This record gives sequence, structure tokens and C-alpha cells, in this order.
Amino acid sequence: MDDIRRTRSEMENHLIDEMIAGRITRRDFIRRGTVMGMSIPLISMIVAACGGANGSSSGSSSSSGGGTAKKGGTIRVAIIVPTGAINPLTVGDQGGLAMLGQTGEWLTIANPETLQLSGALADSWTSNADVSEWTFKLKSGVTFQDGTPMTSADVVYTMDMLSDSKGGSNALSVFGGVLDKGGTTAVDPSTVKFTLLAPNGNFPYLVSRDNYNAIIIKKGSDPASFEKTFMGTGPFKLEKYTTQVGASFVRNPTYWDSANAALPDRLEFTFYADEQPQIQALQGGTVDAIGQISVSGGRALLSDPAYTIIDVPSTAHRQVHMRNDKAPFTDKRVRQAMALCVDRPGIIEALFAGKAKLGNDSPFAPQYPSTDTSVPQRTQNISMAKQLLSDAGMANGFSVTLNTEKAYEIPDLALQIQSNAKQAGITVNILQQSPTVYYGDFTFGNSPWLDSTMGITDYAHRSVPNVLLGAPLLSTGTWNSAHFKNPGYDSLVKQYFGATDLQTQKGISKQVETLLLDETPIMFLYFYDFLGATKKTLAGVEITPVGQVQLAKAGFTA
Amino acid sequence: MSAIEAAAPTRSAASVQRHETLHVLARSKTFLAGATIVGFWVLCAIFQARFFQDPNALSVHQLASPSGSHWFGTDRNGRDTFARVIAGARDILEIAPAATLLGTVLGTALGLVMGYFRGIVDDVLGRLVDAVLSLPVVIVALLAIVSVGPSKQTTILVVGFVFTPLIARTVRSAVLSERELEYVSAAQLRNERAPYILFAEILPNVLQPVIVEFTVRLGYAVFTVATLSFLGFGIPPPSPDWGVQVADHYGFLSGGFAVWPVLFPSLAIASLVIGVSLLADGIAQGFDG
Amino acid sequence: MARFILRRLGLAVITLWLISVLVFCSIQLLPGNVGRSILGPLASPQAVAALNHKLGTDKPALTQYREWVTGVVKGDFGTSQKLQVPVRPQLTAALRHSFELALIAFLVVVPLSLIGGTIAALRVGTAVDRGITTAGLSLSAVPEFVTGVVLIAVLGIWLNVLPISAAWEPGAGPWTQFTHLLMPAIALSCVLFGYIARMARAGMVEALDSDYVRTAILKGLPHRTVIRRHAMRNALLPTITVIATQLGYLIGGLVVVEILFNYQGIGRLIYNAAQAHDVPMLEGGAIVVGGVYLLATLIADVLYSLLNPRIRHQAAE
Repeated sequence: MDDIRRTRSEMENHLIDEMIAGRITRRDFIRRGTVMGMSIPLISMIVAACGGANGSSSGSSSSSGGGTAKKGGTIRVAIIVPTGAINPLTVGDQGGLAMLGQTGEWLTIANPETLQLSGALADSWTSNADVSEWTFKLKSGVTFQDGTPMTSADVVYTMDMLSDSKGGSNALSVFGGVLDKGGTTAVDPSTVKFTLLAPNGNFPYLVSRDNYNAIIIKKGSDPASFEKTFMGTGPFKLEKYTTQVGASFVRNPTYWDSANAALPDRLEFTFYADEQPQIQALQGGTVDAIGQISVSGGRALLSDPAYTIIDVPSTAHRQVHMRNDKAPFTDKRVRQAMALCVDRPGIIEALFAGKAKLGNDSPFAPQYPSTDTSVPQRTQNISMAKQLLSDAGMANGFSVTLNTEKAYEIPDLALQIQSNAKQAGITVNILQQSPTVYYGDFTFGNSPWLDSTMGITDYAHRSVPNVLLGAPLLSTGTWNSAHFKNPGYDSLVKQYFGATDLQTQKGISKQVETLLLDETPIMFLYFYDFLGATKKTLAGVEITPVGQVQLAKAGFTA
Repeated sequence: MSAIEAAAPTRSAASVQRHETLHVLARSKTFLAGATIVGFWVLCAIFQARFFQDPNALSVHQLASPSGSHWFGTDRNGRDTFARVIAGARDILEIAPAATLLGTVLGTALGLVMGYFRGIVDDVLGRLVDAVLSLPVVIVALLAIVSVGPSKQTTILVVGFVFTPLIARTVRSAVLSERELEYVSAAQLRNERAPYILFAEILPNVLQPVIVEFTVRLGYAVFTVATLSFLGFGIPPPSPDWGVQVADHYGFLSGGFAVWPVLFPSLAIASLVIGVSLLADGIAQGFDG
Repeated sequence: MARFILRRLGLAVITLWLISVLVFCSIQLLPGNVGRSILGPLASPQAVAALNHKLGTDKPALTQYREWVTGVVKGDFGTSQKLQVPVRPQLTAALRHSFELALIAFLVVVPLSLIGGTIAALRVGTAVDRGITTAGLSLSAVPEFVTGVVLIAVLGIWLNVLPISAAWEPGAGPWTQFTHLLMPAIALSCVLFGYIARMARAGMVEALDSDYVRTAILKGLPHRTVIRRHAMRNALLPTITVIATQLGYLIGGLVVVEILFNYQGIGRLIYNAAQAHDVPMLEGGAIVVGGVYLLATLIADVLYSLLNPRIRHQAAE
């Protein structure tokens, strides 16, 4: 054990200390260890040395089970039609990111279940002491589908493009304030160094599969014409892509990781504009799998034994913002009252048939290792809500307009909130808009999303809460639709970003969670599971919480 | 002086005619059937809140089949479909007549002007009318509503404007034959101003086709408003509007779920449009006969 | 005749131009910023401006319109802002799909309504006549999505005899495609049935009442022959006009039916473009729909005047 410790960095040793002292669990240690760049065998060794059993679990319900997948065959998948061009720089929609994931690969991958990191194109990674510099060692022998070797130059090219704060990258949601163009440098052909704008202890997550735009593309290639070649390093290569119609891929015969070559011969994706036709296609045998289903739309499949439902816990959620600078929500008691009206378990049952986790009015989903789950869960309490309202001088309730986008289960959520709020005398008028209208220009003053007194916004899965703690809640946040400006919060979050160990992060999380519960700028009511469906005879389909459909290990069992 | 003499007999003739028309209507089975159906929905719209349960009350019984407690079953949010079908009459019965009235007023004015002045005014306006008419009503309305965002008022304005050229066309052709008649030339000789001739002299004489056109358009208005709601460009949810109810649930049809919350609002729309068109047909026959 | 057609064509071009202006103006009112809607909320203002510059959406509206018109005259409908693909192939594919659907609808509705109208005319004033007339009237008043939904519930779900979606799996044979299109076609036909049957009935009643039919009957020609040879032809005339004038409704109905049955036609294309604020696609779709409508009206007018000597005479004057 001491030998191990001598070779490890100060931070890694700190992590080991924490586990030995029992301040973090074995599970958290593994998760944290992977972020620090410790390899799984090393982690297992340490865990074993510390008296724990080998902790690397492999079984995950994020992929369809039931028998062993056989090699070969064509797998036909229904996905929602991509809303625009398949450009790694700009893709931000479900269909588009599922397409990117077919031929592209990332530096790292976070296990959807355990949020544990492992290397994909990266072999290992380490950081300096204050986590402001991260060095990634790339795997050797990685080649693009045209045979060219992938080197650090390709990674630098990709990352510079995605992190360019003056550019139009969709990945800026992740890299904004963390990494900018020029921050990525090649140390040697197989080593890349990231110099961050601010210390970030979770950086390896930010280049993982969850940052779906961050597939490594060839140096000098134009992302706008990616659609023509789908040139990546992945186990499949493009056969044909037809805008709005579908795409097909074949096994990449020269895949660099030959041990993990794709099982299926061919993949056939058909694009659908709506959910129901996809379900019909699965029922009618036209497709073998659906990339995403919703609980309400997928009712017919949920109860049918002929299909496997892939249920992936995710941190995707909806935020219900209440503008802190606008009546009636200027008084925090009014915001608290609103949050106390809501029957969260009831909503999860009604909207998700239970397939979601409770939210506690902060971005800290129960899955995050850094979440302090000892903070009491807010539950429905109408009498307390009424008391708070009368303290705030609104004993007779008030009336407010709730702006919503007509997407997903959001219209139904609005109805539930309306019905719950009524019990405390609050009248909620629902204004439903198309997503295009709701988001408007995406800038303050030109967007119902950012300007409305109260609104519901959709947020995707993140494997670390950094982005969610930033843009929607910081005083300077560009997504701060609640207009929440709290210096105390701002400094806590800054500390959180720079925290290098889990114990410190957890300590800060507790303060953040408590502060947000008290201020309640935004209601976080639930974090819902991501669902996919396949035929019972198909095994090994992996659906990620972001929505990628990974089929390299998929195959028919019969 | 002569104007009064000329107008007086016309008026009494008109009232005699009106009396006869009413008589015919009262005996027309088509008219009575239409009036009964429309009357039923009007009563529903007025008295819904007093006699039936809250159409917006949520419950945990989602997509239930019809039963004693929920005659028409429930929708995806556990709301009572029967209550929503009854309540759904309200919005459409406000919007459709308002839109038709707007279209009729504007269209009649436009038609009078086009038919009376002819020449360049008629040509220019006629082209515009043709341009609007050569795009399907639904597409024109869709374009307009996407631009300004859906609401009750927008729907009324848009449907009203879309109907304007259609009504203008009918009125124009009626005016064309009317303007050749003596009473118009007489008024022109008296040096009456054009607006007076148009609205005081010609309008009363083309009122009959205008009324028929109004009732026919009313049917189309119900048709169009329901369709726009179905497409998500009409009455915004969570109003219990019929078109919205169908749009909210038709996606579930494939699973065999949600047949009820789709079928009942659909039948309600069908019965109302059929009622209105029977009414219109009855009135048209009444004028003819 | 040639002058008549030329004049009509000239008017059609003016009308098309007016449509393009109307559509362009209404698009100028659309909220939102194209570059922003493509790049999303995170892109820097510079990147948005750069993309808008590349797409040309930062140019003055008049310049954009002029460039668009110049393109269209040359047959170039521009590039879809949302999908980044040329508009024309999308338009032609969608139009072809819609034509297939419309054709089936016509094949269903024209014979049925002609027969219906004729039967009603032959039994004027009887219960049969009233039944057909009232049924037609009712059907034509009911929105397509309502008939569509009722058809889905009855034929698709309870009886389970027809597929409930127009989208067939890739590589399906013509017969399968036909069965998928049948239900949407019936939904479209219902609205038309009432109109055509009504016109056919009126035309037939008039023809049966006409001197030449009476003469023919007096001459002792068999009743059946008289109806087929003389009266039917007369009944057909107004039918053609009605089909042409109802084409606008047919296309409007296509939007609804294509959405309900998930079919990739021109109606759905316009609907999607309107929702995505995709200007070139929307403009192209509107022009195509307007063009098809005007062309069909023209053809119907020409046919009408060819079949009807009286009009031909007038047109020559």
C-alpha cells in the first residue's frame, strides 16, 4: 500500500486517506478515483488493500439484457428526426446527438449507473495540484476510419473549435468559463494538456460522452460537412445518410480497438417526427429498437412482455423558475410557499409512473456523489404555504402566469402545478408556447424563457452538476431566468468548482442546497429516467442518459 | 323627398318577405334540426359551469374507459372527458361567430367597393383576393398565427381576415347586377355620395346573399377554428377546446389507449359543424323558396 | 382560346408574385433570429452574427427578397436554413408524395360522388335524395382530422382492417403503400364528396329537365342510354369546376391529414417549416402550393370551356 501511495499524487493520496478514515464510501472512492485519473485495476488494488471487496461492478441496467448478443445482422432503430444538420459543432438535439455517437468517440466515458469515469480515446489523465491543468495521455494505435492515425493534433483541433468562446459551439454550455480556444495544447503526439480558465476538479467529465459534441474529429476537417462522411474513430462507419429520412452504418473493419469491434454488420436508423409512429414501428416489427420513449407515450410498451424497456437514471430535469425581481416572487416566502404547494411524489407518479427521482429545489440530483442527501427533502405542506403567504401579506393568494413550452411532459407538469397551487389559493394561468417561441432569441429582453415571471424549462442530463450550478443560478448566469442574484451563492459555487476532493465538495453542496432551499429561486421537482425500448430478442443495446444509442455490443439473441 | 318615397315600399316589401322567410324556416326540417343541435351546444356553453363538474380537475385515473363516474372516460391527466366536452363548446361558440361577423363586415364593405367602382380598384383588389384565395385557408391562417402567436383574439382576427376575400367575392357579384338597376342610377342622379349609395341603397338589397353567406361561413369558421386548434395554432391549451383535446390525445390512439378522449370531442365537433351547416342550408332554402 | 390561356397565365404569374410578397411579409414578422435558433443559446453573439451573415439573413429584407426571387426564376429555391440542404429536392419529393395521396383520394371520391349525385338526381325529392344530400352536406362540413380520427378508431383499432399510419416501412410494395394511403385518402375524400355529389346532382337535375334529354326520351331511346350519353356529360361539367375550386381546400386538408397520418407530403413540409421558421422552405412550399392551385384552376377552366360550347364561344369573343 505504501508503495502505491509513494507513486501517487498528493490529491490521490488525500482521496485514499479519506477512504481509510471512512469519510467517503468505497463507491464514492471509486468514482472520485476515476476522475483523478486512477486506473480501475489500481483502484481495485487500493480498495482491496483497504479491506474492501473489488468494487468495479460491470452489470448495468442501462443496456438491454436477456441472453447473449450474437455477432452479425442488421439492427434497425427508430429515432426522432434530427432538427438540423449533423454538425458536431452545433448539434444540440436528441436525434442529432444520437447520430454523432455512431461514428464518433470521446476522450472519456462516464458510466451511466455509477457515474464512474473510464478512458475511451484517452488512456489516462492527471492534474496539477490546484486542478487548473489537466494532462491526458491518448491511447496508442487509434485511427480514423480512413486509416489516418489520431494524434494530439486532432484533439487540439477539436477542442479549440468546441471551446472557442467567440464561436458558435453547442459545447460552450460545458466549456464556457472553463476552457477557451488556445487552452488545449499538444505536449507530444500522444499527450494533450488542458490549461483551464479556472480550477475545475471535474474536468475529465467535461470531455466525456456526456458532452456529446466532443467527439474527436480530424484536424482541418470542416464540421459543417461532417454529415457527408461521418468521419470519426468509432466502431461503425457511414454507409448512407439522407436528411430527414434516415441513416445506415456498417461495421468499421479497421476499428482500432479490434477486441471491441462492433457485433452488428449494419445499423439502420429511421427518423420519425413523433413518438407514436416509432412505437407503431416497433410493434409492427419495422424496427428493433427505439432510442427514446416517454412514459405517457410509451404506455403500450411499458406493460408488454414482448419488449425490453431500457431504464437509465439521469439527471435530466425541468426547472420551474420564479423571477426574484418581479412581483409576486420578490418575497422569498412567496417562492417557498409555491414550492410547498407542489406534491412531488404525486407528480412523479402521474407523469412518469414513478420512473423519476425526487428533486429538492437544487441542481443536486441524488445521483451525484457530491450531493449531500442529509439535507431534508421538501414535501407538500399546504398549511405552511398558506401561513407563509399570509406572512407575506398575501393571505388571499395571488395570480400568476406560468409560461411553458409545448414539449415533453411540460404541459402536463404545468397542469399539476396549477392544480396543486390552487389549494393554497394561488391562481396559475398557463400560457403555452412552442419551444421556438418560448426560447425566442435566447437573450434577456427577447425571450419568454428568460423574461417570464414564472416558467418551465427543460434541462438535459449532466454527469456533474457544474453547468447547472452556473448558468441558471449565478448572478452573471446567461440562463438565469429566475434573475437570482445572491453573492453568497456565487462565492459558494466558485469554491465548489475549485474543490479538489469530494469531502470539501460535499461540505459546500450542503451549504448550497440549504441556501437554495431557503431562497427557492427555482423549483427542481424531479430528475427523470431516460427510457428506451427494444425487442425482447435484442440484447446489448446501450442507451445513455444523454440519449446516445450505442450499438457496438448489441445483437440478436435468437 | 323622392328618396323617402322610393325607400318606403322597399322596406315594407322586405318586412313581408322576412315574415314569409320565417314561416318557411319554421316549417323546414333541415333548419329545425340544425337549430336544435346548435341550440344544445349553446346551452352547454352557457350553463356548463353551473351544472357540470370542473373540466380542469385532475385525478389519478388517467385514460380511464367510460364508466358511471366518468361517462366519457378520462384523459391523460385524469380529467373528466364528459365535463371537458361540454365545456369545450364555449370557446368555439365565441370565436367562430365573432370571426365570421368580422369577415362578413369587412368582406361586405370590400365587395361593395369592388363591385360598385369596378375598374382599377376592382382589378387591384381582385388580384389580392385571388392571391389570398389561392393559398389554402389553413396555410394562410397558419402563417399569420405563427407570426403573432396563438390566442383567442388572434384566431378571431386571422379567420375573420381570411374569410374577408371569400365574402367580398360573393358580395361583389351581387353588387355587379345590382348597380345596373334604376334605383342606383336614380341615387347617382341625385348626386348622393358614394358611401351613401353603397351602404344605404345597395346594401339593404344585397342583404339576403350576405346573410346566407354569413351562415355558410359560420360552418367554415367552426371547421377552420377546430382545425387550427388541432394543429396547435388556435385556442391555446389547457382550454378544454375540442380541437385541443383531440390534438393532445390522438397520438395515443395507436396503442388502443385514449380512444375515448379523442372520439368524444371529435363527435362533438362533427355534431356542431353539421348543425351549423344544416342551419345554413335551411336558411338558404328559406330565401330561395 | 390561346389568348384566353395566355391571359390567364399572365394573371397567374402576377398572383404567384403576390403570394410570394404576402408570405415574405408575414415571415418578416416571425419572432426569433435564424442564426440564434440554429446555434442555440450558448453561441457567442459574434458567431450568431457570422452565421447570419453567411446565410444572408442579416441583409435588408428587400435585398433578401430580390435574391430569393432571382433564384426562383432560375429554378433555385435556396437552402433550407434549418436543415442546411437545398430546398428544391425536398419540395419535389414532398409534392410527389402529396400527389400520390391526392390521386388516390380522387380515385375514391370522384366515382362515388358522381354515382351518389346521379342517384339523388334520378330520385329528386325522395327520401333517397334527401339522405344523400344531407349525408354529403354533413360530411363536407366535418374537418378532416375529425373524420380521420373516427376512421382510425373504427377501421384501424376496433375492426383493425387498415394501417393507422401513412408511413410504410422502407421497401414496402405498391399494394402495402396503397393500403397505408387508403385511410388518409378516405379522410380527404369525405369533405369533397359532399361538394361533388351536390354539383353532380344539380347538373344532372338540370340536364334531365333540358329539352334535348326530353327529346331523346321522346325519340324512344332507352332511359339508360340517355342518362349515360347526355345527362352524365352535363353533370360532369360543373363537377370539374368544383374539383378545381376545391383544390385549395384539398391542399389545406392535406396539411391536416398528413400530420394526422404522419405522411411526408407538401402540407407537412409547410407545417414543419412554419414551426421551425425556416424561411426558404416556407416560401418555396407556399409558392409551389399556390402554383399548383392556379395551374389546376387554369386547366379546369380550359377543360370546362372545351366541353361547353357556350363558354368557348364567349372566350373567343
